[in-house]
Amino acid sequence: MRHEESDLRELLTVRAEAGQPSVSLDAIVRRGRRIRRKRRALASGVAAAVAAVVLVNGLPRTEGPPVAAEPPDSAVVDQGPELPATFPVRLGGTRVDLTLAHPFRFDTVGATWTVIFEPTSHWTSYRVVCDDPRAWVVTSQRLKGGETGGTAARCDGLLGGHHDKLSTPSDWLRRPQSIRVWVFPADAPVREVAQEVTGCPSPAGECDESAQEQALMNADVRERLLARVGERPGNWAIGIYDRPAAQN
Amino acid sequence: MDDGFAEYVAQRQSRLCRMAYLLTRDWGTAEDLVQTALARAWLAWRRIEGNPDPYVYRIIVNTHTSWWRRRWRGEVPAETLPETADPRDAPAELDDQAALWNAIGALSPRQRAVIVLHYYEGRTLTQVADIVGSSLGAVKSQLNRALTRLRVDPDVRTMSLERGRR
Repeated sequence: MRHEESDLRELLTVRAEAGQPSVSLDAIVRRGRRIRRKRRALASGVAAAVAAVVLVNGLPRTEGPPVAAEPPDSAVVDQGPELPATFPVRLGGTRVDLTLAHPFRFDTVGATWTVIFEPTSHWTSYRVVCDDPRAWVVTSQRLKGGETGGTAARCDGLLGGHHDKLSTPSDWLRRPQSIRVWVFPADAPVREVAQEVTGCPSPAGECDESAQEQALMNADVRERLLARVGERPGNWAIGIYDRPAAQN
Repeated sequence: MDDGFAEYVAQRQSRLCRMAYLLTRDWGTAEDLVQTALARAWLAWRRIEGNPDPYVYRIIVNTHTSWWRRRWRGEVPAETLPETADPRDAPAELDDQAALWNAIGALSPRQRAVIVLHYYEGRTLTQVADIVGSSLGAVKSQLNRALTRLRVDPDVRTMSLERGRR
C-alpha cells in the first residue's frame, strides 16, 4: 500500500493540532524594536568603530582594540579565563588555523552584551570562555539572508562557532558585524524559567540540560532569566578569530 | 498597537505556530520562528498592502531554511520530540503515521515547506510559489520530488510491505 495525499493531509493536521502554541504580542513588539535598534545602530555611526562593545546591561572591563592594531599576543589576559591564541577549523580536508583578532573581557554575568567587530575574512570565528565552566552562555548573530542564529550551552571551553563563505551574510566584509552574548551564572534558574515559558519539552520527558539549552534560544526565557538573576560578578571573555584579508 | 497588527496576531498566531511546527518539528522553535517573523512584519506593517499572510509566511519559510542551513558549529539543533499517541489509533496506524512523519522530517526545508503549505495550509501551487519565491515549475518539481521521497523512504516502504501482508 502507498500513502494517499489524504493520509498526508490528515497526518499534518493531527500533528499540528497536538500542541497549544502561543506567542505574546508584547514579546513580538519587543523583538521588533530590538531589530529596529540594531538596524539603526549599524546604519549610523557604527562604521566608525572598527571594534567595540555595546553595553546593554553589563560593564566591559576592557574593550578590544581595532583588529589592524591588535598584536597576536595581546590576547593574553592578566586575570580571568584565558582565550586560546588560535581557533583550528577543519572542514573535510581543509584545515585553517585562525588567530585571535579581538579579545573582549568582562567581569560580570547576568546581563547581555553586543560585541562589534570588523571581519577580515569569511572565516571569522568566535569562542567564549568563563571562569565558571558551568555558567550558561547564549550567542546570537545575523546569518546569511539576514536571519538570526546562535548557540546556547554551558561555558565549558568548547562554546563557539565559525563561518565560511557559505554562511556569512553578503555584506560580511563591507561593514562591522556583531554578536550578541548573554551570560548567566551557573545557578541561574534556567529549568524553572524554561518550564514556565516553553514547558521545556524533552525526549526524556524531563527538562534535562539539552532541553534547557534549547529553551535558552527562546527570547522570552532569556529576558525572564535576566530579570530574575540580575547582574553579579563573574569573569568571562569572548574572542573573535579571523585570518588576514590577503588569505581570504 | 494600531493598523490591525494586534488583531492579526490574535487571529493568526495559533495557525502560524502550527504551520511553523510542521517545519521545525519543535514547539519552542516554532514559537521563536513565528515571533521572529511577526516582529519583522510589525516593522514593515504599514508597507504591507492587502493580506499580510503571504509576507509573513515567506519570512517564516525563509527564516526556517536559513536556521536549518546555518553552519555555526556547536549550535543547539531542534530536537524531534516524541508526541503523545492518539488513543483512537490502532498500533499499526501509529506505526504508519510515525514512519510517514519521520519521512517528512527527512525532506529538505524547501520540500517540507512546499508540502506543508500545500497539504496543511491548503495553498495552491501558485500561492506556494509566491510564498517560497520560486517559479511554479520549480515548486511542482519540488513537490514531485518530495512526494517521491515520501513514497520510497525505507521506513515507509517497510511499513507498506508489512501492512500488505496482514
